[in-house]
Amino acid sequence: MIIAQGKIYPSEQQDKILAEADGHINETLAVKTLRAETVISAIDKLGCEIEKGVFDDRINALPVDNPAHYKAIAAEMLSRRFLEYKLETELGGFINESRPLPKNAVKARIMPLGVIFHIAAGNMDGLPAFSLAEGLLTGNVNILKLPQADNGLSIEIIAKLIEYEPELADFIYVFDTPSSDVHAMRKMAALSDGIAVWGGDEAVSAVRALAPVGVKLIEWGHKLSFAYISGYSDKERELSELAAHIAATKGLLCSSCQVIYIDTERDGDLEDFCAEFLPILEREVGRRGSVSIGGRAHLSLLRYTDMLEDILGRTPVPRVYKGKNCSLTIGTDSELELSDMLCSVLVKKLPRREILPVLRRKKNYLQTAGLICHDGERAAISDILARSGVVRIMTAGAMSAYFAGEAHDGEYPLRRYTRIVNTE
Amino acid sequence: MKFRRKLFSYKHPYGSGSDGLFLNAVRENALFHYRHCAEYHKILDGLNFGETELLSEKPLSEYLAKLPFIPTLLFKRRRMFSMPNRRIFIKATSSGTSGRFSEIGFDAGGLLCGLKMVLKIGAQRKLFSPIPCRYIVMGYQPHRSNRTAITKTAFGATFFTPCISRKYILKFKDGKYSLDFDGIIDTVQKYAKKHVPVRFMGFPAYTFFLLKEMERRGIFVNLPKRSKILLGGGWKQFYTEQTDKQTFYRLAEKVLGIADKDIIEFFGAVEHPIMYTDCVKHHFHIPVYSRVVIRSCDDFSMMKNGEVGLVNLITPMVRATPILSVMTDDLGILHDGEECGCGIKTPYFEIIGRVAPDSIKTCAAGASEILNETVTALKGERV
Repeated sequence: MIIAQGKIYPSEQQDKILAEADGHINETLAVKTLRAETVISAIDKLGCEIEKGVFDDRINALPVDNPAHYKAIAAEMLSRRFLEYKLETELGGFINESRPLPKNAVKARIMPLGVIFHIAAGNMDGLPAFSLAEGLLTGNVNILKLPQADNGLSIEIIAKLIEYEPELADFIYVFDTPSSDVHAMRKMAALSDGIAVWGGDEAVSAVRALAPVGVKLIEWGHKLSFAYISGYSDKERELSELAAHIAATKGLLCSSCQVIYIDTERDGDLEDFCAEFLPILEREVGRRGSVSIGGRAHLSLLRYTDMLEDILGRTPVPRVYKGKNCSLTIGTDSELELSDMLCSVLVKKLPRREILPVLRRKKNYLQTAGLICHDGERAAISDILARSGVVRIMTAGAMSAYFAGEAHDGEYPLRRYTRIVNTE
Repeated sequence: MKFRRKLFSYKHPYGSGSDGLFLNAVRENALFHYRHCAEYHKILDGLNFGETELLSEKPLSEYLAKLPFIPTLLFKRRRMFSMPNRRIFIKATSSGTSGRFSEIGFDAGGLLCGLKMVLKIGAQRKLFSPIPCRYIVMGYQPHRSNRTAITKTAFGATFFTPCISRKYILKFKDGKYSLDFDGIIDTVQKYAKKHVPVRFMGFPAYTFFLLKEMERRGIFVNLPKRSKILLGGGWKQFYTEQTDKQTFYRLAEKVLGIADKDIIEFFGAVEHPIMYTDCVKHHFHIPVYSRVVIRSCDDFSMMKNGEVGLVNLITPMVRATPILSVMTDDLGILHDGEECGCGIKTPYFEIIGRVAPDSIKTCAAGASEILNETVTALKGERV
């Protein structure tokens, strides 16, 4: 299905629509301005309807553990209050137009980048629509290529937005092109001033290969997150919150905990931690229902392969603490790496003085640190983590939390979707 | 290796009554690997399946249920061989995403068995013909730097009939592969004016894209009678969606004039080199040379027909590498042969997806489902 200028077309019309898009987009860029207020009003209406329960059937059908929580987050993030705060935080004060210009200075103003081509991964339901909304908020024309795995939710959301505010129609093009259709992808890239790509290293390098030279690449790559434990303020609560985070996100988000680092030099401390934490993790995983058949198969195969590796005399043998539908594996080094996911987490040593050199080795992948420590040490450890390149330092339970004014991977996205125009 | 020879000489590739022979061939093959491959020996000992168990007299299904399997993942991590290098006739590798690939050795006897199998199964699906054909390979041009099994298989398939010419969509030139859709489209138009049948062989994704591209440009041809499309190497994202396959069949008829019955799909893996071809109803029936066991995703116990589980593939074809029983990372279902209705009675399997993905639409994994196809399509330009 395709959406172009407010109308829905079958996928077969793709080439015709793409061929004509250049002219339509130029017309839009020449004479139309999309005000942020129009976009906020449409998104806010959507948020209100979600809150009222208009989309409950759709939300309850999502493969998430707690649809009510999901709904509350969506309603909050789509609210006028949230969006205005986002605009103000990310673009307000960026240029202060009331400030008197010094001699020889030229006026500057923020303009949309122009046309943004969004290539969204399917890792979160509704993410494609979210990416598009950011492009709209900054006044851009948006071309969205849906992920193969999209379940129709994005198209539905976008159609609603256009219904609320028909002015948006000229600024939205949505295609369900498969990524193998390089010809169409190239055409979309050629129409664009910027390409926002969400995905892993492979996705990003594929986009780099098809992007015309000079187009602005806005890469939202895959990131790695971890918990760091250096003592506790309230041990029982903090460990339960960490376990709940692991059980809820299953290691699938950029902000999900992959490795639990313990501030120690002693192997024995890791074993003590695993023995204590495993039942807590098991309890939280148990509360959240079952893992999918594919997920269970994935874990079973990994465990069986590891068992064969042990039989073949793998050195050094990792120690694994197995629980029901979860596990803790004591790592033999301190590297930040992807865990087996699905509630199977790595536990590693990382003495405080080694935080920076170890994390710097993964500097392009760092995202969230879930910090558990004595209250008195929080500021000092946060500082080391921030200096190492981490961009979100949260309490362990809130590693994947959303909040107003949140930067994305260390940046304000709206700034990347705009440009500064100097006019003499 | 007399049982292996007998099995691969079995008169009908989908005949009945081969269980006893298959079991003997499996036992013989297992014992060979146990005695000649240190890793296989260790694994079997570690899983308490020593010589006594190997030689035990059990019904086939019970024996196969107990026989230790090796995941393809382990072949990607380790090289395992049951013969010295000098006796290994060829080595082939899997296509290997994310830099890890299996390397599997083949002995001359195993290759001979493979040849017999190809001849028999190919004859069933009328792949062989004395009428010369022109081949369009929707895959890599062979080159000594490319050791992937898929390249060798595609090249091998061009010998099913006398070959007048071979055109490759991925041409090797100046040390790299480059993708040539335009050249292939010109070639197809030229061939359509002649009388010699044309055969496409290769990746479904490329072939699909070629069909779409021709449709987009408004190029419709009627290829000569007896032209066929042979597909191998996986459907990637199309894999589970029958509707996409239907679109493919419809498009092939519309763009090239090739009917559904002349589109033949292959399934195989370097770790399990059995040639599965789909029947006229597009189902993969299991030939006498192999067995497929669907195992529980939790404890690997055997599932009943019709239930989803991990796909375990078993064949005693190869002696050079212990690929007797391999566990893929595919999820599949086994169906009773009777359900198909094509006339072949052996069960058929259906691949419904890979492990993990339905919930792992992961962000962190780097396993980006989304642009894999583009990566494949662009590979020619980046290799």
